[in-house]
Amino acid sequence: MAMATATPAPVQETRSDRIVMICNYTALGLFTLAVLYPLIYVLSASLSDPKNVVSGKVWLWPVGWSIESFKAVFDYDSIVSGFSNSVLYAVGGSVLATVLTLFAAYPLSRKGLPGKGLIMALFVFTMMFSGGLIPSYLVADQLGILNTRWAIILPAALAVWNMIITRTFFQSTIPEELVEAAKVDGCTDFGFFWRIVLPLSKPIIAVNLLFYAVAQWNSWFSALIYLTNEHLFPLQLVLRQILLQNQFDPSQVRDTAELIRMKELQEQLKYSLIVIATIPPLLVYPFVQKHFVKGAMVGSLKG
Amino acid sequence: MRKVKRRTFVAGAVGVAAAGGSGVLSGCGPGTAEAGAAPESLTQPPAELGPLKSGVNYPPGYIGPKARRQQTIVTEPVTFTVVVPQSLTVGDWATNEFTRWMEQQTGIRIQWRQVAGKGNDPETMTKVNAMMAAGDIPDAFLGITFTRSQLYLYGAQNLFVDLNPYLERYAPNLQEAMKDYPEAPKLIKSPDDGVYSFPDFNDCYHCRASGGRALINTDWVRKVGLAVPTTTEEFREVLTAFKKADLGGRGRTIPFGGYKDAPLDTFFMNSFLYNPSYSLNGGDRPWLVVTDGKVEANFVKDEWREGLKYLHGLYADGLLAKDIFTATEDQIKRYGDNPDGPVMGGARVYYWGTFMTLDLDDPKARWRQYETMTPLKGPNGVQIAPWNYLSVGVEVSTLVVTRKCKRPDLLVRWADFQMDLEAILRSYAGPDFRWSAKGDKGINGKQSVFGMESWNTDETKGKTWDQYAVMYRSGDFRLAERVNPKKPTFESPLYEETRDHLFPYKQPMERQFPPVTLEADQAALDAEIGLNLKSEVTTSMARFVTGRLDPNDDAQWNDFTDRVQSIGLTPYLEIQQAAYETYQG
Repeated sequence: MAMATATPAPVQETRSDRIVMICNYTALGLFTLAVLYPLIYVLSASLSDPKNVVSGKVWLWPVGWSIESFKAVFDYDSIVSGFSNSVLYAVGGSVLATVLTLFAAYPLSRKGLPGKGLIMALFVFTMMFSGGLIPSYLVADQLGILNTRWAIILPAALAVWNMIITRTFFQSTIPEELVEAAKVDGCTDFGFFWRIVLPLSKPIIAVNLLFYAVAQWNSWFSALIYLTNEHLFPLQLVLRQILLQNQFDPSQVRDTAELIRMKELQEQLKYSLIVIATIPPLLVYPFVQKHFVKGAMVGSLKG
Repeated sequence: MRKVKRRTFVAGAVGVAAAGGSGVLSGCGPGTAEAGAAPESLTQPPAELGPLKSGVNYPPGYIGPKARRQQTIVTEPVTFTVVVPQSLTVGDWATNEFTRWMEQQTGIRIQWRQVAGKGNDPETMTKVNAMMAAGDIPDAFLGITFTRSQLYLYGAQNLFVDLNPYLERYAPNLQEAMKDYPEAPKLIKSPDDGVYSFPDFNDCYHCRASGGRALINTDWVRKVGLAVPTTTEEFREVLTAFKKADLGGRGRTIPFGGYKDAPLDTFFMNSFLYNPSYSLNGGDRPWLVVTDGKVEANFVKDEWREGLKYLHGLYADGLLAKDIFTATEDQIKRYGDNPDGPVMGGARVYYWGTFMTLDLDDPKARWRQYETMTPLKGPNGVQIAPWNYLSVGVEVSTLVVTRKCKRPDLLVRWADFQMDLEAILRSYAGPDFRWSAKGDKGINGKQSVFGMESWNTDETKGKTWDQYAVMYRSGDFRLAERVNPKKPTFESPLYEETRDHLFPYKQPMERQFPPVTLEADQAALDAEIGLNLKSEVTTSMARFVTGRLDPNDDAQWNDFTDRVQSIGLTPYLEIQQAAYETYQG
């Protein structure tokens, strides 16, 4: 009742309204719990003594407080270098990709561009058909970017899907009349793009940056294929390594001591690594989140 | 695997088109390769064994690697490019301590290229196949596990070097090892007699019997006043007694447990017929046996059906864990580690650590209550512990030399160098190993040769090659590891129980289906039918045991045999028979 009176034009809540509200909050609450619990569990596990994690004593809060696992993480050079590589790939890759996406999307959103249909068709073609793994590898080899940081950044430098969203965003938020008005005032195409389009496109820029950054942050396959130098590996590849090294064929356990050793290592590192790998996206997300819905929705709905 | 392979073929063709005349190797037959062994690689003087080092105590009758004084291989530094798996234990291959030692000892420098992965996972192979197809090939691969069929495929294409002539002249340590393991020459050979990889020996005694291992709680056996069972009927009585006495308390007793990665049939079926060990995840071909030179499949035999009936009965009486086919290792460990006393009477596991945390300090620790059972004697007197003579011990694909390599002789000598006892210990345990004093006991109770202070990762990190090196770990070598008398591990009991409870019941070697090599087209068919059969037989077995199907019902049993026939059992057996005959030569 108190809630109902607080609203400016109090409308008597009916019984069924209240039931709906209760159901809503219960459902949402359960959903939140389902999402939150794994996060809390991982955090607690990373701060607990690994022995307690293995034996299942940790279920919500840390048991046997210990930050050893975080210390151990930083003992591994490859984890530290993997982290900085991942940051580099995410930041560098997303900036480059966003710039390219804007450059590709804006002209395609304008009416007057000759050959627009053909260019667009070519872009869309690549969404459905790809050369495949080995031809891509050959291209990377011939470009001389194999086993360099470029091999991670360049092939992922434009996602057609993002480009289409961005194009639609431009079409719907920057009307042709605005271009004409600017032209009447003597503004060039570049000037218009720089002074008018970009300031009006913050949401879509943020969306692009986030999409690209998250994609780079999570990716490991291109690094697996293109890189043969440990110092260039991103964090995800190192994470994968830790999980893999612990997978033994149980019937072929030649070295039981080795097995136990790897198990301990994995239990020790697994959770703290997940925490470390999750922190950067979690930190960035709140800042872009407000643009997120706006940008993506505007871009996708009004085709 | 098949998918990758098909890609490789397509890519091979694309590779030719794209590479044009630029000399990129694409694996399309001889003549396209830009490189090949230099003629001088076969005219170098043969390598010889060095004199034995003193101060090492070998037990009497010891068969295995020995520490010798070895010569440097080259005086002028030579560099090879070698692709290796990434490993957290090795760290940076270039700055690794064993790498430095090898460089210093042999004079051979290695330019490492790391591939993410473990060397035997599908993703590593995807990467390696991409490299091969694109002609981006190193001098050698170390620790990348090509299957026998892949080695043969690439070898026949002249992409991998046939090491036969080099092994004869430049691998004295390997020659010694092959004398100790007479089956080795057959196991490393391809159908065209080529040897396309430098092999590795890891003769793990307890692994040879791993499929037939089941543990039973001897404390409980004593408590219910019975003896450790040796026949199927006694086993049933013991489990029934466990259940009745409810020694786990509050109805939590699990008379006999297991988990999904340890097949039940490798233990139980051996009371009815010989049924070999296999791994569910690996490339093994399970349930195949050789009878008088003929390859047969176990799962359509009447004895198999009798075994299913027995298991069906145990399950129906609640003597097997409900989740015996589905439990994960974590789940079974939770039963094993149950805080207020054991709840499990016995389990089909590979060793104690599979189902409980091992306390090595406490002499009364729970794991010590459990003992390896002898195989159970079935109603017709069958009592076999499946012994893996052939796929444990000799391993192929440890070092693969490619056609890019100008001096295969040097890489072969480099690999052979690693088979020396001291090199093995350094690459595997790090520089902190110790030679044992006279009188120190090893795992098998004889004179020990070496000891390792620590397996602790923090201390060996960056110092070893994490088992990726070429090694000659013979049975005697492995068992000559010193046991700390103050802190004995599970290694000795594991060895002793294997020796006393399983080894005496092993089947003759001729009955084991060997690891065979297939031609490319057969390999594809083999993989496809093999996968379907594996899935059908495993699922049906679970159904027959848990009562969703009844093995006593003729119609249901016939349905099952019809299904495996329609999957292609006959062509499958024909492929295996042909491959077996090729293997036998």
